[in-house]
Amino acid sequence: MKFKRVAVLLLFITGVSLSTDRIVLKKPPRSLDRYYPPVSKKFEFLSNMHTMSTAFTGIRLNVNDGNWEKALFWAKELKKTYLKTSRMVPEWKDYFKPSLAENLVKAVGSRNVDRVIDATKKLGKTCAKCHQDNQMAVKLLYHFPSFEKVSIEDPVEFMELKTGDYMKKLADSLKALKVYLIQGESEKAQESGLNFVERARQLRSMCSKCHTNKLSEEVIVGKDFEKSLSRMEELLSAGKPKKDEVFKLLNSVGMSCAKCHNVHLVPAVVREAFGK
Amino acid sequence: MIPLLLLALFMAGCDKLGSVFVEEDLLQRPPAKRCSDCHTQIYREWKESRHFHAWISKEFRLESENHTKTKCLSCHAPHQVDPGKKPVLRAEFREDGVSCVACHFKEESRTMHGPLRVWSPPHPSRQDLSYTKSKFCAGCHQETFREWKLAKVDRSCQSCHMPSLGKRRLIQKFPFYFFHRPKPRNSHRFPSLRAMQEDIKVELKGNKLMITNVGVPHNLPTADQGDPRLYLIAKVSYRDGRKRTVRKLLSAQSKTSLRYNVPYELRLPAGEIRSVDLTVLRKLSWKKGKETLLKLTLRTPSP
Repeated sequence: MKFKRVAVLLLFITGVSLSTDRIVLKKPPRSLDRYYPPVSKKFEFLSNMHTMSTAFTGIRLNVNDGNWEKALFWAKELKKTYLKTSRMVPEWKDYFKPSLAENLVKAVGSRNVDRVIDATKKLGKTCAKCHQDNQMAVKLLYHFPSFEKVSIEDPVEFMELKTGDYMKKLADSLKALKVYLIQGESEKAQESGLNFVERARQLRSMCSKCHTNKLSEEVIVGKDFEKSLSRMEELLSAGKPKKDEVFKLLNSVGMSCAKCHNVHLVPAVVREAFGK
Repeated sequence: MIPLLLLALFMAGCDKLGSVFVEEDLLQRPPAKRCSDCHTQIYREWKESRHFHAWISKEFRLESENHTKTKCLSCHAPHQVDPGKKPVLRAEFREDGVSCVACHFKEESRTMHGPLRVWSPPHPSRQDLSYTKSKFCAGCHQETFREWKLAKVDRSCQSCHMPSLGKRRLIQKFPFYFFHRPKPRNSHRFPSLRAMQEDIKVELKGNKLMITNVGVPHNLPTADQGDPRLYLIAKVSYRDGRKRTVRKLLSAQSKTSLRYNVPYELRLPAGEIRSVDLTVLRKLSWKKGKETLLKLTLRTPSP
């Protein structure tokens, strides 16, 4: 029974409890920059989190197995990494309680399960507090590559634009196409529509700025996407385009927009909001 | 008796003769500068190449976010280049980019490989004809290699991008250059080259411009991760006096490049066309400016 309590407690520590109707994202301190790309190539902060998480599991497994020596080894590992991490980001110093890490080592050393549970609970609370306050913002900011440096050339105006500006132009030509189609102004619909097709086609060049595996491109802007764009180009070039058919094709193109936005938009918006 | 003794001594030493002149550090993956001690000319050519700039180029540093995009790195500082095999990242002298040892030194044989058969006392050498084949480049230039295969031509990557320099000495260090007669040499500048007017065929068919890459046996432009571009600007004059400009941006990354011998259709706005002024520009990945590849005027016959 006690062992189960240790396990449940550890689950509580390592995950973020999110039973709330409000999530507040706080911008992590700049001093964290040095532990993530592009400044560092090693993800040192994250790596420490993994080390501590593994150490917690090491303690749990070995306490359950009655292997106290090995449990003590992991408790010491945990303490060492906890102390090291507490010094990494000065602004987060107060989240850490080094004495509680020492208590856990002593508790494991005493071979008393109740003491281990108590010490784990107290130490775990410090982890959980920091995770609740910061984990999501850190993930959104540091685990997704930045779009800041990704630029894309507008194939209509031959101008190099930032991603956000390009998306605006793309959306503007899409909306203009819809408006002119609904109004029955074929020539204007044709011009905006062909601009949209060109801009949508060019999106693919953005993917390769980060994705070296061409499969990720195929999933989002692959054959189906190109097929819809080619058909739309054909319809628009032929003069008076069939409104319903163009709208149907736009639905299919929109699937690709949604797929990419579902993955990249939220982190990009958060990064932008934080001015990072 | 004495000559026989000397001959016996000479015979016994022959197998060791090869190792007497070996300069050990050459087999310890030295920096490219070390190779320039003897191969001065080749080194100078390579210093002007994109292979030399592969790691240190400003553009690559920016695109790879200060060398943190790990997936990109191995081709910019490969440990060992083998035909058709993506290399692993080199641990040392990354600033040398695609360096001498990356292409020529093989870990398995601890020997310098190359297309020529040579006797080279400072380091063991082995003739390896894979250096003359396109597949040699395919480990990194995968997309371009795939396009080249589709083109089904005899010309290899090397025949255009390592043009022959005729017979030259491989080494320049005194007195060693006397050891070799001049041998067929190919440029290590790896020129990017530029499509010529005759490489791009343009036809006006009704309201379409048919543009075909007939001379370059891979896509135009071509790249694996780089972002070279081609710009088509067609200024169209109609018989009723109207003028329209159509622009197209073709790029390797948006999969819109001109494929070898496959016509690209540039649709022009409806109307009776009198003439089309077409300009084709290109921009290389690492260059800011655009260069003109082609400029021509096509006229339709008078009705």
